[in-house]
Amino acid sequence: MSTSIPQAGIKASEPLRPEPATVLEVIAETANIKTFRIAFDDPALAESFSFLPGQIGQLSILGAGESTFAISSAPSQKGRFDFSVMKTGVVTSAIHELSAGDRIAVRAPMGCAFPTDDWKGKNVVLVGGGIGMAPLRSLLFYLLDHRDDYGELTLVYGARTPEDLCFASDRRDWEGRADLDFAATIDTACTGWDGCVGLVPSVVEEKAPSPENAVAVTCGPPIMIRYALQSLDKMGFREERVYTTLERRMKCGIGLCGRCNLGPKYVCTDGPVFSLAELRELPDEL
Amino acid sequence: MKFISSDAIPELLEALSASSVVWAPRELTGSGGTVMFERWRTGDPIDLEHFSSLSAKDVVLPRTEKLFGYTYAFGGGLGGAFGNGAPAGEQLVIEPAEPAPPAVLFGARACDAKALDVLDALFNNPEGEAYNDPQYQSRRKSLTVITLACTTCDEACFCSSFGNGTSEKAGSDIIVYPVEGGLLAEAVSSRGEALLAEPIFEESEQAPPPLAETARIEGLERLEEKLPRLFDDMDFWQEISERCTSCGFCTYGCPTCYCFNIHDEMRSDREGERQRSWDACMFALYTQETSGHNPRPTLAHRYRNRINHKFSYYPENQGKILCTGCGRCIRGCPAGLDIRDVLRAALEEAPREP
Ligand SMILES: Cc1cc2nc3c(=O)[nH]c(=O)nc-3n(C[C@H](O)[C@H](O)[C@H](O)COP(=O)(O)OP(=O)(O)OC[C@H]3O[C@@H](n4cnc5c(N)ncnc54)[C@H](O)[C@@H]3O)c2cc1C
Ligand code: SF4
Ligand code: SF4
Ligand code: FES
Repeated sequence: MSTSIPQAGIKASEPLRPEPATVLEVIAETANIKTFRIAFDDPALAESFSFLPGQIGQLSILGAGESTFAISSAPSQKGRFDFSVMKTGVVTSAIHELSAGDRIAVRAPMGCAFPTDDWKGKNVVLVGGGIGMAPLRSLLFYLLDHRDDYGELTLVYGARTPEDLCFASDRRDWEGRADLDFAATIDTACTGWDGCVGLVPSVVEEKAPSPENAVAVTCGPPIMIRYALQSLDKMGFREERVYTTLERRMKCGIGLCGRCNLGPKYVCTDGPVFSLAELRELPDEL
Repeated sequence: MKFISSDAIPELLEALSASSVVWAPRELTGSGGTVMFERWRTGDPIDLEHFSSLSAKDVVLPRTEKLFGYTYAFGGGLGGAFGNGAPAGEQLVIEPAEPAPPAVLFGARACDAKALDVLDALFNNPEGEAYNDPQYQSRRKSLTVITLACTTCDEACFCSSFGNGTSEKAGSDIIVYPVEGGLLAEAVSSRGEALLAEPIFEESEQAPPPLAETARIEGLERLEEKLPRLFDDMDFWQEISERCTSCGFCTYGCPTCYCFNIHDEMRSDREGERQRSWDACMFALYTQETSGHNPRPTLAHRYRNRINHKFSYYPENQGKILCTGCGRCIRGCPAGLDIRDVLRAALEEAPREP
């Protein structure tokens, strides 16, 4: 879905300069993932800021650097937004030091969203693993907020162990909903877990949502995506109806620094959302 | 045409320096003949004979430039741990970079000036269509380009493969031609015309000298279509990149390689600036991710990207080939790679059966 330029939160006059923002709340999701609830300091910007599911942003800890993350909150939530960050390196470790009230700098939103308008009237199957649930969380919130526009909704979300599953309070909510077929799954059985056990792709196959009038979206670790795509293919989901989000090392986020290309496409501006059919047209350089 | 005598050139540069930064080619002291575009100051010699080893792209894309400054205005500073953000209630001040002064690029060659025209396609976009680069734009808009037409060339030059070769005018405001006793000058833009109206330029009836004919490779525009078909032929890419040592000179020296890195430099424990610097897609770390995964793990992958970006992706996206045939990557490569060999081979290569 193409988006207009410039967007609130990225200045046309200085697209590489982030806006100061404040961390409102930090939610520890797992041992190495935290969700940061953030608001822009400039009240006018906080007011006008909006985004669509799938869009990304850049978080800066000035002095440590800047990194790219999916916006994980509901687009309908005004005045604040969430990023769910896995601690892996320099910038993500610095972000993990933040507590409520601390300052951060943000450029957002960037990139193209999921084409949710094209999906109206269709069933939607979401397949997420690990931190890949971050963009899917935003997407699911969006679909639930526009529930009447869509058919059946299915979500399979998996992680290695129960402790590796994020978004506990959201999951409780999703579990209680009659209008969402939700399964959280872990790789191997363990005491205290009475939910689904098994790898995400096989759970999707067990659920067997019909490919008829449906789209599927999968985000997660590369290995999970690979098997999820095989399963979806086996189940009859056509390439134009299967979407994923790509990751590439990024710097500018606005198509100028040259860093994130996949062939002639730039993940930061042409993506991060791509359909499998679009990816087939691009060089195999993932 | 107009004429300026050799003796009057320093006077011209002096006058231009009053309101602009002047860049001109100069042999670096003690370098044994290395010519670079340097900021000209009164008394500096200029070298209008030899070809510069790095391009003039610094005038629009400085090798390192400040994007903005930041200050953490709180008592304790950042302490030992850079990047703990600014604690609750404390100020984080972000200030824009100072605007760059106007500049004059004197003695660029046609391939340098054309490179600016090629880069404009990416960095100057119609409002609302794509993000622009305001810092590039403000430098570019206040830049006057005085191009020295090439009457000689060397065996690495192949600008004739790209449109007008040595008589290319794109990107220039004024073209100057070396003649006996000075330079003939021809305006290309209205800005150039205004400058040539200055009394330091005399009227002249002289005809410009014949220009050099550089090597020509026909059909480079066909590579936009051909290269994607060669993409998966790793034997081909391995063979042609075999001797490359990943030094990155070809990208640093190139007038059209624009990729940049963004990084923070602390000045003290409380303040610093975010900068951008030239980067090179020939470096392994360019695409390396934290997990260790690298979509371009070998030299062959990286060289393939460099060639594809210049001759296929950029033409597809921006309608222009991202190379002007200046030959710098050929002259400067320590491993002796010649991009023309690659281009010829790619033009001839039929995609191998998978
Ligand atoms: C479109 C997109 C969406 C993402 N969404 C999320 C998310 O929602 N949550 C989350 O935790 N992570 C996400 N990531 C990954 C995240 O950007 C990296 O984990 C992060 O940049 C690592 O930074 P670091 O400084 O801690 O690591 P270091 O290894 O110290 O940093 C080195 C540099 O490498 C780059 N880099 C390293 N790994 C990656 C990677 N996998 N992808 C892109 N750039 C990388 C960054 O530019 C970083 O500055 C996303 C990446 C992309 C491209
Ligand atoms: S200059 Fe030569 S050796 Fe250096 S990176 Fe370029 S091709 Fe490789
Ligand atoms: S690729 Fe080589 S010949 Fe082409 S513009 Fe760059 S340095 Fe010059
Ligand atoms: S991050 Fe700079 S081009 Fe995509």
